[in-house]
Amino acid sequence: MASGDAGGLAAAPLGVDQQTGNIRFLGHDAAYWRLLARGAVLLMITLGIYRFWLATDIRRFLWANTEVDGDSLEYSGTAIEILLGFLVAVALLVPLYTVFFLSAFNVATAGLMTGLAILTVAFVGQYAVWRARGYRLTRTVFRGLRFHQTGSGLHYAVCVLFWWGMMALTLGLAYPFAQASLERFKLRHTFYGELAGRFEGSGFALFMRGLPMWFVVMAPTLLSLSALLTVDWTRVGRIFERGRDTGDILTRLGTEVPEFYATIGLFIVSFGFAAVAAALFFPAFQTVVMRWWVSGLRFADIGFSSRLRMRDVYRAYLRFIGYLLLFALVMIVAAFVTFAVIGAVFGTSGQSKVAEIAIILAMVGLYVVSALGLSTIYQATAKLALWRLTMQSTELSGVAALDHVKAIGAPASPLGEGLADALNVGGL
Amino acid sequence: MTIPTGNALYFDGVTSARHKVTVELAPHALVIRAADGSMIEEWPYPRLKHLSAPDHVFRIGLRRHPLLARLEIGDTAFAHEIDLLAPDIDRTGASARRDRRQAIVWACLAAVALVLSAIYGVPHIADRLGPVVPRGFEQRVGVATNAQVRAMLDKGPASRPFECGVADVEKAGQAALNKLIAQLEAAADIRTPLTVAVVRRAEANAIALPGGYVYVFQGLIDKADNVDELAAVIAHEIGHVANRDGMRAVLQGAGLSFLFGMMLGDFVGGGAVVLAAKTILQSAYSRDVESAADRFGVRVMLTLGADARALGRFLERIAGKAPESFGVLLEHPAAKERAAAINAIAPPQSRGVRLLEPAEWAALKRICAGYRT
Repeated sequence: MASGDAGGLAAAPLGVDQQTGNIRFLGHDAAYWRLLARGAVLLMITLGIYRFWLATDIRRFLWANTEVDGDSLEYSGTAIEILLGFLVAVALLVPLYTVFFLSAFNVATAGLMTGLAILTVAFVGQYAVWRARGYRLTRTVFRGLRFHQTGSGLHYAVCVLFWWGMMALTLGLAYPFAQASLERFKLRHTFYGELAGRFEGSGFALFMRGLPMWFVVMAPTLLSLSALLTVDWTRVGRIFERGRDTGDILTRLGTEVPEFYATIGLFIVSFGFAAVAAALFFPAFQTVVMRWWVSGLRFADIGFSSRLRMRDVYRAYLRFIGYLLLFALVMIVAAFVTFAVIGAVFGTSGQSKVAEIAIILAMVGLYVVSALGLSTIYQATAKLALWRLTMQSTELSGVAALDHVKAIGAPASPLGEGLADALNVGGL
Repeated sequence: MTIPTGNALYFDGVTSARHKVTVELAPHALVIRAADGSMIEEWPYPRLKHLSAPDHVFRIGLRRHPLLARLEIGDTAFAHEIDLLAPDIDRTGASARRDRRQAIVWACLAAVALVLSAIYGVPHIADRLGPVVPRGFEQRVGVATNAQVRAMLDKGPASRPFECGVADVEKAGQAALNKLIAQLEAAADIRTPLTVAVVRRAEANAIALPGGYVYVFQGLIDKADNVDELAAVIAHEIGHVANRDGMRAVLQGAGLSFLFGMMLGDFVGGGAVVLAAKTILQSAYSRDVESAADRFGVRVMLTLGADARALGRFLERIAGKAPESFGVLLEHPAAKERAAAINAIAPPQSRGVRLLEPAEWAALKRICAGYRT
């Protein structure tokens, strides 16, 4: 299917035919591609400073082209606003970072301080995520009314850290309950004008939907890890130590640690199976979670239900992979040409410093172009398609209630966005 | 003259109700009238602003309006008339593009400023801060760095000590090393006490850490032809200790991490840029630092009356054998240039002074003989 529209980026919007609900997405792929590609180039030139403008453009595009019951959303935030938020956040974080920097040199407490630093950054990061959500909600305008958020970011951060701990302890089994609990918290504090949101999705329902996938991925993972425990690693270590001189490590591993090769083989096979299964299940998992999430949303008497279809999501990812392969081909050719040119200009002696700097810069450049290209393609294909599919497959009930909502709520400060950016936890 | 009118959708910002209204374009303001003809609001043209909307909708709001009142117009011709009357509305997007171009120029300038402060600002600040860092703090930094560096370098089996000079056959070598260090330390006359050790690493190299830690690699001792060559390298490392280069490097690393890590944010691929920038910049900083340490080493050797040109000779010999690729990433600038700079300030010297007796030098060469490597 990627081959079908690989010729032109201006492909028709995916899935227009399956319009079911009263939410529509009107954006054209070509416009979004242009926006993202130009943004990627400018990110490179400005060393990332352009991100404030790009994020604002992306949100404007997605919001403006999303139409709920005949009226489109409006994103009213500005790039300057989040740039200022970021600068304030940096100013606030400098003392914190200085303390951690200085305390890292005290050997006695270094371990403790590292743990404390990670915990603090995670905590402040989640606080920032909450505040950033508040900022985006109050910059979302629909029919002349803004959304807003109440509730405490500290409370939210505590909840998130608690659920992270639970997920780690249960090897991910707590994920559905974590999601349900956190979404209940978020929606309880979300308002459209005076309309209070709530979340009615059940963690147990999601748990049952996800359990088969969890089992197929986690069982071989656990098997592979427990297999490693059966090997006598001290003996393997000794063989490696001695084998450095004699060079017969491989044969001696086979004879002296008989279980070694079988175990490593089992590890590779089962871990590989788990990885492939996880990759194949990912779109299905995303569909299940998205459908569950949308169907759990409520605003007063307005209900949501999702008919997101799994095969559409898989199609979106296949299209992403098609573009990705095309891009990989282009990058390989580009890398080949770049190094051929460097070789031709500087010769093969490799003595000159200029040649070395040129090679380093070329490598960094190719890496950055690849990374930005990958992210651009992902956003323009998979992410946009998922947004579109989600919107188009969502049905609202009780929309009459949308006609007479009263305005309340004041705009929130962009500091949360800035904090989230400075701590690298920024989202859409 | 008739006043142009058109249909629009109006949201008053008080409730979410949609109001079908007619809009009159009066000379100084846009007048919004309800279906029954009563006036709802008057919006002066200079305060109108164009808002983000899908392509087929012309959405405007009013600046300094206490609420988020919105007017949506579907008729392109009518939208064009409003555009002509309102100074701040430009539906062609030309003014938005101009604003954006300005933002891009400023962002580029900010990026240039960031790079310039990394190249010139960070080392300058580190140079100023380095000397005023309290010795006690440098000592703590040294202990922490030392633990890290040792863990990184010590790849041998746990059964043998990382440091040479501990086993019985190595003790004579350690005594010779101590004698050599004592002479160098006295000649260098520095305040930081030195901790010099030979370690089991095959490379011909030596490093100095904050807090006076100096590690001489076994490979360097193997390659040294005479005691002056080894002494010259150690004198160079003492130069790093005297100039507190380790402390400065720590400060520079922190400054660069802050500049690039935090300011650059989390755009994709940023991590690689940070790493490459740090590597190239820190190796650029290190050039001046190495020359300064060379000059210090020459002074120490001259004070001792030893062969001050030994360092340059030794460097050239080691560099001749080492693979040349990725020299930018190596800490030390080209050996030839450094040897030339050393020879320019060090007079050729007939070997008058013996730092160690021949037997002691022979023992020092075997300082790592206790364990097979």
